[in-house]
Amino acid sequence: MSGRSLNISRFLTVRAAIVAVLLLVVAVLPLFVTGTDARYVLKVLTFVGINVLIVTGLALLFGYAGQVSLGHAAFYGLGAYASAYVTATLGMPWFVGLAAAIAVTALGGLALAVPSLRLRGHYLAMATLGFGEIMRIVFVEASSITGGPDGFSGIPLPSLGSFVFATPQSIYWLVWGVAALAIMISYNIVSGRPGRSMRALHGSELGAMASGVDLVGLKVRVFVISAVFAGVAGSLYAATVGFVSPSTFTFHFSVVLVAMAVLGGTRSLAGPAAAAILLTLVSFPDIVLPGLSRDILAVVQDWEVDIYALVIILVVLFLPEGIAGAGRRVLGLLRRGVVEPSGSDSGTGQRGDEA
Amino acid sequence: MSDTVLQVEELHAGYGHVEVLRGVSLRVDRGELVTVIGANGAGKSTLLKSIVGMVSPWEGRVVFGDRDISNISPEKAVRSGVALVPEGRLLFGAMSVEENLELGAYASRRGEGAAAMSRVCELFPVLSERRTQSAATLSGGEQQMLAVGRALMSNPRLLLLDEPSLGLAPRVISEIFAALDVLRASGMTILLVEQDARLALKHADRGYVMRTGRVALEGSSTALLANDDVRLIYLGGWNGPNDARADTELGG
Repeated sequence: MSGRSLNISRFLTVRAAIVAVLLLVVAVLPLFVTGTDARYVLKVLTFVGINVLIVTGLALLFGYAGQVSLGHAAFYGLGAYASAYVTATLGMPWFVGLAAAIAVTALGGLALAVPSLRLRGHYLAMATLGFGEIMRIVFVEASSITGGPDGFSGIPLPSLGSFVFATPQSIYWLVWGVAALAIMISYNIVSGRPGRSMRALHGSELGAMASGVDLVGLKVRVFVISAVFAGVAGSLYAATVGFVSPSTFTFHFSVVLVAMAVLGGTRSLAGPAAAAILLTLVSFPDIVLPGLSRDILAVVQDWEVDIYALVIILVVLFLPEGIAGAGRRVLGLLRRGVVEPSGSDSGTGQRGDEA
Repeated sequence: MSDTVLQVEELHAGYGHVEVLRGVSLRVDRGELVTVIGANGAGKSTLLKSIVGMVSPWEGRVVFGDRDISNISPEKAVRSGVALVPEGRLLFGAMSVEENLELGAYASRRGEGAAAMSRVCELFPVLSERRTQSAATLSGGEQQMLAVGRALMSNPRLLLLDEPSLGLAPRVISEIFAALDVLRASGMTILLVEQDARLALKHADRGYVMRTGRVALEGSSTALLANDDVRLIYLGGWNGPNDARADTELGG
């Protein structure tokens, strides 16, 4: 009742304000990108949005439910090829391609959920890795559909009805709009009952079972949602770039995605999103530091994999809770500054205080 | 037998090719506290796991009330009114005490949680004191109370407990067992698996002694406490554990 619930609501208001400001920044950013390389900058920022979308799905799967996937690039690829095939080969509108991407990746997520029912930890990681490799080979070999190693070109731009997302700005808004929607959906999932059961699964599988959590249904649903987010990202990618090839959907990309999720931290959506933004921009340092010489840029891109690996090692050593953990600590300090000390750190205890 | 809550008939179960339960039959009546005692590897935990469906029985039947639940899934078992306090507690360490309890009510209908929560807090006042603390920071005894509380959150008609005394100090153990007495006095039906036979029999109405997957003895607690064979087991003079231990590694 007393002061504490008021303070919590004020804290939530602060959080809502931060989210609103961030949304506004993301929304108006393209208006400030001008100059000769505006197209390039917007394209990179669009990729950032695509990665945020995939990593949000991975945050649900890995960060909340504790299930490792080293095969997420495969879902990204499945979505891209399904969408490309439906729009370019069959000549259907992009919306249908998107629906196809969702359907195919949902099936793929279902397929990958089956081993997860029996495997955990390293063994699940191996199984998902295997799934990723199998899909990569399928992308190369099923050349009548995918175009084989040469790739699939001539994919039309995304469109809704008669409106075509033709300008870099409109594509940016589309991608980031979808990413924001995915984060909102995820927030709804994790802040309610399903989120609680996912964290329970992370904490103790048998304990969750003994509490009446339907583990099979939960794992299947999380895998499917996570796969569908990657599939939608794939559909956006294919339509944005107009060309897809198997070299995009490799084990390497799966590892980069996991690196983003790890750097972001568990039990968080904001952390992984921030990590996706940071790590994607590592490959394009000239966006953050305009006027960077091409030589330095080339060196950075050559050493990209090593930089990611170094980031993972440093995070595990010095920031095991990831960006989210660091953020929580800072927020905790801020809260204690704003709010009189209440001896509680949980942020979830909103019931009446005096028992 | 009109008031039978749980009836286990000739239950066989195991892991892989190893048969752990070799035809176990037992009965728990309404309001009773029944204990299953026996050495490590006798199959006590496996028995509880096969009742709630964490292990699928090979043969035999489990009847709960008037319903055959032999091949039920664990989440449906919880929903139908059987709750297990698993061995080793298996709490959600990173989550708060309150969240752990709320997860216990995961399977029950909306709105039933609050009443169950206040009952649990009445039984274990320390849990409401520590409500916002993470489960991992509780003492062993408090964790066991939380595990029992979490199981009670689903408003079970039958409470199964697997070794609640495991790794706890004697004083804490007596606190836990005092709570079990309170629960039984309130009409709860309890099936208790316990290694500390003397303690279990002191609190139970009836007991079953398991030995390598079978019920070796059964009877009222007083009769079992007076039984010479049972006394020998307390003293560790039993020469069975060798073949029993082989099962332990797999079954526990």
